[in-house]
Amino acid sequence: MSRQARFYQWGMVIDLDRCTGCGACVVACQAENNVALVEKQRFAEGRDMHWLRIERYWEGEFPHVRARFLPMLCQHCGDAPCEPVCPVYASYHNDEGLNGQVYNRCVGTRYCGNNCPYAVRVFNFLNPDWPQPLPDQLNPDVTVRSRGVMEKCTFCIQRIRRGKETAKSEKRLVRDGEIQPACAQTCPPGAIVFGNLADPDSHVSRLARSPRRFRLFEDLGTDPSVIYLKGGGHEHAG
Amino acid sequence: MKRRTFLKLTGMSSASLALSGCQKSNEKLIPFLVAPEDGTVPGQADDYASVCRQCPAGCGILVRVSEGRAKKIEGNPLHPVNRGRLCARGQAALQDHYHPDRVRQPLQRDGERGSGRFAPISWDQALTLLTERMAGLRTAGQADRLALFTPPLTGSLATLVGRFRDGYGCRQHLAWDWLNTEWLRRVSQLSFGIDGVPDYDLAEAQYLLSFGADFLETHLSPVRYGQSFGAMRQLRPTVRGRFTYVGARLSLTAASADRWLPARPGTEGVLALGLARELLLRGVFDQAALQAAGLEASELLGQLSAYTPRAVSESTGVSPADLQATATDLATIRPALIMAGDAVAWQTNGLEAGSTIQLLNILVGSVGHTGGLHFSPPTAPGAGSSFADLRTFIRQMAAGRIDTLLVRGTDPAYSLPPALQFQAQLHKVPFLVSMTRVLDDTAQMADLVLPEHSDLESWDDVVPDRGVSQQVVGLQQPVVSPLHDSRSFPDVLLALARRLGGEVQRSCPWENYPALLRESMRQRLGNPAEAAFQQEWLGLQQQGGLFEATPPANARPPGGTFRLPSQLGSSFAGAAEAFPLFLQLYLSPFFTDGRGAHLPWLQQLPDPMTTTVWDVWVEINPVTAQQLGIVHGDLVEVTSMAGTIELPAVVYPGIRPEVVAIPIGQGHRAGGRYAAGRRVNPLQLLADIHDERHSLPAWGATRVQLRRLSATGHLVAAGHAEGSYRRDILGL
Repeated sequence: MSRQARFYQWGMVIDLDRCTGCGACVVACQAENNVALVEKQRFAEGRDMHWLRIERYWEGEFPHVRARFLPMLCQHCGDAPCEPVCPVYASYHNDEGLNGQVYNRCVGTRYCGNNCPYAVRVFNFLNPDWPQPLPDQLNPDVTVRSRGVMEKCTFCIQRIRRGKETAKSEKRLVRDGEIQPACAQTCPPGAIVFGNLADPDSHVSRLARSPRRFRLFEDLGTDPSVIYLKGGGHEHAG
Repeated sequence: MKRRTFLKLTGMSSASLALSGCQKSNEKLIPFLVAPEDGTVPGQADDYASVCRQCPAGCGILVRVSEGRAKKIEGNPLHPVNRGRLCARGQAALQDHYHPDRVRQPLQRDGERGSGRFAPISWDQALTLLTERMAGLRTAGQADRLALFTPPLTGSLATLVGRFRDGYGCRQHLAWDWLNTEWLRRVSQLSFGIDGVPDYDLAEAQYLLSFGADFLETHLSPVRYGQSFGAMRQLRPTVRGRFTYVGARLSLTAASADRWLPARPGTEGVLALGLARELLLRGVFDQAALQAAGLEASELLGQLSAYTPRAVSESTGVSPADLQATATDLATIRPALIMAGDAVAWQTNGLEAGSTIQLLNILVGSVGHTGGLHFSPPTAPGAGSSFADLRTFIRQMAAGRIDTLLVRGTDPAYSLPPALQFQAQLHKVPFLVSMTRVLDDTAQMADLVLPEHSDLESWDDVVPDRGVSQQVVGLQQPVVSPLHDSRSFPDVLLALARRLGGEVQRSCPWENYPALLRESMRQRLGNPAEAAFQQEWLGLQQQGGLFEATPPANARPPGGTFRLPSQLGSSFAGAAEAFPLFLQLYLSPFFTDGRGAHLPWLQQLPDPMTTTVWDVWVEINPVTAQQLGIVHGDLVEVTSMAGTIELPAVVYPGIRPEVVAIPIGQGHRAGGRYAAGRRVNPLQLLADIHDERHSLPAWGATRVQLRRLSATGHLVAAGHAEGSYRRDILGL
């Protein structure tokens, strides 16, 4: 299907001028998507399981020092480097611009993780472990991944599905803002906006036309679906 | 069936299967290429409105409940405080409910105090034990030797506790925690003659100057102000609100500022007066507001003659250029708003410095105006205790005047600095009762532990005393049935009142706590008839509470007389020669005063500024670190007059060279598997120094020295401490 003919082209805008680095999105993501708990020792071994992380950059030296934040998640690339390297089609592209990951196909080659320039794919080196009664919190809409499986941000595909099913039962298209991934829903300063890029009037499309727009590693030709808006005012220019 | 028929049939069916396979090969292949959209069909869940209790801001929440289990917490879009948003702590509240180390039944001490050995008992036994003790005190005429320790209470719980206390005949109820608003109220009283907490109209401001107010982390109502901050930055089509932060440490909040003025600790007030002088000199100030405050410009200018840019720059360490640029912003951008917070409050000159900062609000005319600050409706009197009350309380403990202490909803054995002597005097309290969800440091010392319902299992009404300009009553309701044999605190009080009988029973006549809640809500609604109220009550449960639609017109001009503080000097504990560095403790953005440390989602959430996980550390300026031979991750020894602790070093570019900073919140002795034993509690470094004239705490007035111990600090950061990529290739 050509891009014009699609009803939905999911995308996200992250306004770095609004982002305060507060971390609410990170916890919201873990609560929604059954991301495993990671003990200190596992972090030390590089077994971090975040689907969404906040990168912090120091700029300058005291007293003219600043810190900048960049929420980093799967960019849902149009030409995703992770997809062609998967020998079992576990990493795939869907019609609506999402990079999916089929957990029960994944055989754990980790080629996709190696090939991802954004380092947003995380591998289950261990089976997740939640002491009782923490497993009662697990989201029934999301698969719990086991050892040997690669995982990453899905743009909360379970929420997209629910939104589309609701819309379908009411014989309409999904309304703008009706579907929100967990990170966008909770973001206090409203830095994360999710929506349909195929609709030129959607909030996300309007923001995506901002002159402050940029995408990460655009020169690699990955065509990401996540658009960042530059932060900082005139003090930060140059 | 004959063998022959069987073979025939099997042969036929396999042949037909093979044939159909050949005919429809595409249908077989394609489903494997077109993915199953990765997962299951989403189920149906219910959302229940309630209130978040992780901090006193009182954000409205929606809890997604599926098959009787709470699955996810979102912000309630109808709630005026947070309008659908939620912070990391609110998101993690689920784990408070499902915590694996929750106390599952009442426990009685079974061993040395503090040994952590407890024997499970029934609720009947526990209440009998407590009732007998309380009845004994009452009979002996010593009812006043019962004491309560809670965080500041609002709403019906404050009413109930007050009635219980009066009915029983005890006066000692300490309602104190780190997030209290005493300092802000006293500053407002001193500056404007208003006993209230300011609410900031940040979304409409075009310029924000924050003196140590970390409004994106722990200051007052972080979700509300976080949301307003986003709007201030980018909601208006042609205006981008600008933000300057004053403070010795670049906090998470300061990281979002356009300009950072790292003033020396204790000199924030001097900086404010320097800016005030500039505004007066340039003749750019709100004449009416100045008059209303009983000030006269030329007279004021005369009083400020000593605060020349050069003098201010020398005193504060802020460059004259930055000072002038900030003065120009303040003089030219309207509406401007000035905030003051913890880093200012916790100095020995906190009250004076706070009022000089409010002088700037008067000069820019922000009080009661759009884009400025407004005052919250005052909450019920007696909602919170003062710092003076806290110290009196501990003296009472030391004097043996407290026989039975009931601690609920707070963990003073962890969160009070040992210099205040609470921990040391605890042995003088013969009977300690802790009502808690996990065995925290206080419960560990208790003689009787009563398990409390989680927030998702309890009823309450929540009247925020901050971050609102209108009347807001959040309704907290149980969204799931209790996991363990726990009870709610108000219902335990009512059960005690019934068992004690007499006056206390008469003053607490409610059958259960929801009955009291309904009664209070009915009064707030103007006592409608039962049927009508029933309807309204259901509506309130759906909506999440009772919200006044619009804030009242708040044009109350600052009244009274503003008096310039006579002196702004600050003092520190520890001689400069022996203890060359200032210690700045700050409330962790995630654990606040330690109350979030038992939640693994918060423990594994990388600290936004240092990316450290599961830990506590000391932040050191790179230059200072180099002088002391310390590199990132080393183990260092931090010594003050009060104590010595060992922590890993974080080399932190955003801090003054003569200042080191440590987050509060880790170092619990108990508190469940995730909180216990994470190094040491930095509060033990605080010396016994206070603002004695005003009876206010001075948590930021201790000096320390640093010594490198070894290279093995075991500091763990998530990913790369300096970011995964070079900034320039990301295009930041």
